[in-house]
This record gives sequence, structure tokens and C-alpha cells, in this order.
Amino acid sequence: MSTSAERMASDGHLVQLQGIHKWFGDLHVLKGIDVDIQASQVVVVIGPSGSGKSTLLRIVNLLEEPTEGRVVFDGRDITDVRTNVNEVRTHIGIVFQGYNLFPHKSAQGNITVALEKVLKIPSDEARERAADQLTRVGLAHKMDAYPGQLSGGQQQRVAIARALAMRPKMMLFDEVTSALDPELVKEVLDTMKELAEEGMTMLVVTHEMGFAREVGTRLLFMDDGRILEDGEPKQIFSNPSDQRCRDFLAHVL
Amino acid sequence: MATAQVQKPVRDLAWVREQSRPLSLAALALGSLGLILATVGVAVVILMHGLTPVVNIERGLKSAEMTGVTVWAIALGVAAIALGWGTFKKMPNKVSREEAVAGAVLGVQAAVLGGLVLWFSEGDVNIFAINFLNFEGPNQQMEAFLYGAKNTVILALSGEFFGIVLGLLLAIFAISKRAVVRAPARVYINFFRGTPLLWQISFIGIGLPLALGLDISTYTAAIIALGLNMGAYSAEVFRAGIQSIERGQLEAARGLGMSYGQAMRYSIVPQAIRRVIPPLMNEFVILVKDTSLVLFLGLAAGERDLLSVASQGFGNTFNGTFFIYAALGYLAICLPAIRLVNAVERRMRSGLVGIGA
Repeated sequence: MSTSAERMASDGHLVQLQGIHKWFGDLHVLKGIDVDIQASQVVVVIGPSGSGKSTLLRIVNLLEEPTEGRVVFDGRDITDVRTNVNEVRTHIGIVFQGYNLFPHKSAQGNITVALEKVLKIPSDEARERAADQLTRVGLAHKMDAYPGQLSGGQQQRVAIARALAMRPKMMLFDEVTSALDPELVKEVLDTMKELAEEGMTMLVVTHEMGFAREVGTRLLFMDDGRILEDGEPKQIFSNPSDQRCRDFLAHVL
Repeated sequence: MATAQVQKPVRDLAWVREQSRPLSLAALALGSLGLILATVGVAVVILMHGLTPVVNIERGLKSAEMTGVTVWAIALGVAAIALGWGTFKKMPNKVSREEAVAGAVLGVQAAVLGGLVLWFSEGDVNIFAINFLNFEGPNQQMEAFLYGAKNTVILALSGEFFGIVLGLLLAIFAISKRAVVRAPARVYINFFRGTPLLWQISFIGIGLPLALGLDISTYTAAIIALGLNMGAYSAEVFRAGIQSIERGQLEAARGLGMSYGQAMRYSIVPQAIRRVIPPLMNEFVILVKDTSLVLFLGLAAGERDLLSVASQGFGNTFNGTFFIYAALGYLAICLPAIRLVNAVERRMRSGLVGIGA
């Protein structure tokens, strides 16, 4: 884990999104986003499908490039073409809806490949780190299992371990429970909750309103490419100020 | 709660017999008998007269027994067709219906086969046998056929190897998001897919060495030409394989900080290679047969492939049986390869081999 001193860089703002616009062809997906995320915040993004939540999340580690605007991570403008994006991404873990584990590698191999090839960590140490992370997500006994031999929940926990093994400063979760069978959702949410309690900075796109209320320290409601609510989760859930947010919550709760 | 145990119904021979109907069985019997006459019967008549070329085979085909066997095969076949076709719709259950249909289909096969043999035996069998069943000449050239087969395999394997290496490289260029990288690969691939292999072999084997004063053997030139051609085709196979890997795999790798090249090397390409093994093996089977085009380069004695050996033998003796031997040689190489492809495909489909989620 990074030290708290590191986290205080740029006035506690780990991520700053400034004037972000995104077009896919003629489709205007993000329409002017300005958000600062502070270290140790657990920011939960909710909103109807197609509102731009996932795109916003993927812009933080530049899996999507903003058409306009700047992304500042840890005091560095990472939208600058001279920035080494690959290096920046080693500090930002991401977990996807579809797990996206490498099917030809074991659980341990999924974790060690980036440690060895990107961080250039010796393979003994990489394996040790992988084992530690798999233990942490409760899968020490599945070290040698291939993704095809694991349940969805187990695969998703391996994916979380894979991201954590890089010792990122921040984690992005993109609807990570949406593809799971209902009985497997809890094990993944519990892992995320532990991570939040340890002080990890998290940006979470989710439909799990319970998680948003209970674990989130900040809630963003998005609709039509804009952030319409930004505040305390409990506050927003009990008394949403925006009309569209009120309608949305009335539908999902 | 006590529910009655339902036994899985027995489907044994006794059950089948019970389902059959006399007419359906008759159609099946007539059709089968006709086909047996048209195959086994014809073979027995030929063997009765002896296999020694050329005279005995001709005698067998021209014999009264042969006419009898074929005419009977046709007659039984026609009877089976009439009976099966006429009754299958009226059959009361699946078994008898299938028997009637099978009888009619076997009848068609018996009639067609019997008719072909009859037609053939009425013709000038002597000339055919002298030209294509004249085993003496090629039997003396067995050694030449063996190294011909060896050369065919060597040409195909080396072409396949160079083609795969080149193809993977071309495929990676061809999927680049940069047009300047894509363009040369596309030009290469389209050129080699858009011109005949025979043209390529002639140009590289004869034209280029002359024009550039290159001192390469025809054999090497043939391998180069086959490899360059195979490169274009396997590039397309690899490209399709790489593009069939889910987008999420690239995103996961990039999300971990891998460069595009690292993501390709550690995530995408290893998965794609598993997927393209069957189509690449298919390309190999095609390549085995395409090696025969090196015939046009006029290879030296020790370098000849199967077809060149056969062509040489034919040129010396005007005995077409050499070509029959060449065909058997190609079958001996290709059939095991085809079986292997099918087995690999089956295993991949059944999920015994990890091919990626």
C-alpha cells in the first residue's frame, strides 16, 4: 500500500477531471465533467444505463481518451501525450464487469504476468505477492486453478487480487457484480468493502444501492453525460435534490 | 412422497424388430443386397479372373458373370427404390419409416454404381487398363516415389513453417490502428492472395534468379515461393484469430500497465494461436497438394516431388499408372493430416483443450 505521505500529493486530490467531454462518433457521451477525487474516498457512481458512468470511469485510466479536457492523476496531467500512460496505469487498478481474466493462465499466473513483465519484479517475489493477494481475497486454495474452473464470483475476486498486486494508489470498479449470479454478489462486495475500510481510494460504478449507501463516502448521480448529484450517499438517498435522481431512485429502490 | 419409478425405455434389437414392418424390411433388404452386389459382387468377379494386369482384369470386366452381377444390382436397386419410396410415408413408426427410406437410398446407390460398372465394362477396357492399371512400370520406380513423397512433405512443412512466421508478423501489422503500418501488409497479402500460386512459383523460381543473378537452387526457390504464399494466407487466419479474442482481454492487459506489444505477446497472441491451430492445419493440407505446382520448375532428379516423379515416369513410358500412384501418395499424406485436424477440432469443441473463454 502506498504511504499516506504519497497520498497527500496535489492537496489530497488524487484524481482531477477537468472539463471532460467525450464523443463516440456523433454521440456526445460526456458533456462537461469536473470532479476531484481525494485520497481514501470511496466514490460511487450511479445512474441509468447509457448515462456515461462507465465511460467516466474508463477515462480515469485513459482506457477511453477524452475528446476534450484534462485528467490529472497524482499531480500529473496524464492526458499530455508525453506522459507514459503505461506507467500511470500501474498505479490505477481496474476491475471489469466481465472479469477479463487471461483464460490461458492460472489464477497465480494472471497476477504474476504483469508483476514480472511490467514492474520487472523477480518471479519468486511475484509469486509470493500473488499468493498474498489470493489469500487476502480468500482464494489461496485456488492458486493453480484456471479461470474456466472458477465460479464467476471467484473469477472476479482473482481479478481484484490481480489489480491489487500491482499496489495501486487507486482502484476502479466497473459494474463488477452485474454479470454475477445473485448468490455470488456478496463475496465480491465483501472484498470491496474490506478494501474500502483499509483506506483504498475507489471509484465504483454500480447498481448495488446497498453498497453505495453503506460503503460509499461520496455518491455521484449521472444522467445524460452530466453529474447531477454529488454528495453524501445517505443524504442523497434520503433526500435527493435533483428531480431525475429522485425518479431514478424511486425506480431502483 | 412416493412417485412411481419411470424406467428408461429399452431400445434393443428385439424392440427394433417389433417396430419393423414387412414392407420396410423388404425395401431395406433389396437395397442392401443390390449395393452388396454392386461392390462386393463386382470385386469377387474381378478377383475370380485374377488381378494380374492387364489381360485378366479386362477378362473379368468383360465376363458374363460381371454383366449378371451388375444387371442384378441395378434391378434390385430399382425394386428397392420403388418399394421404399412408395411405402415410407405410410409406415406407422419412426423405425419402419427410416428402414424404408434407407432401403430406397441404398437402392439408388446400387443402381448408380451397377450402372457405372456396366457402362465401363462395355467400353474399351483394354486401353484403360493398359494406361492406368499397368502396375509394372511404377512398381520399378518405388524408390523414386518414396523420395518424391519425402520431398513433397519437406516442401509443405518448410512452406508452412516460413508461412506461419511471416503470417503472424503480417497479421500484427495488418491490425495496427496506424494506416501507414497496415498498408504495406495489406498490399503484400492482397498481392499473394490475388495472383496464382503457379505464377508466383514460376516468377520466384525462374524469373527472379535470372533477373537478379541470384544463385539459389530451384528447390530453395520453391520453398521460398510456397512460404511467401502461405504467409499471406496464414496472415488472414491469424488476423481473424486475433480479432476473435474478446476486447476485454486487451483492456485488462492495458489496464495492468502493459504496452500494446506486451498485451499482444502475453495475452492476445497466445490465446489466438490456440484458436487458429485447426485452420492452420487445414492450410497445411491445401499446401501439401499445392506443392505439386513445383512441377513447372523442372526439378533435378533428387529434388522431385510426388507429381514430378509421376510426370517423369509418364514422360518416359507413357504409362498413366504413375499418376494413380502419385494420387495414392497424396492421399497417404493428406488423410492422416485431415484426421488429425478433425480430432483437434473435436477436442477443442468439447472443451478438453483450453482455447480461451
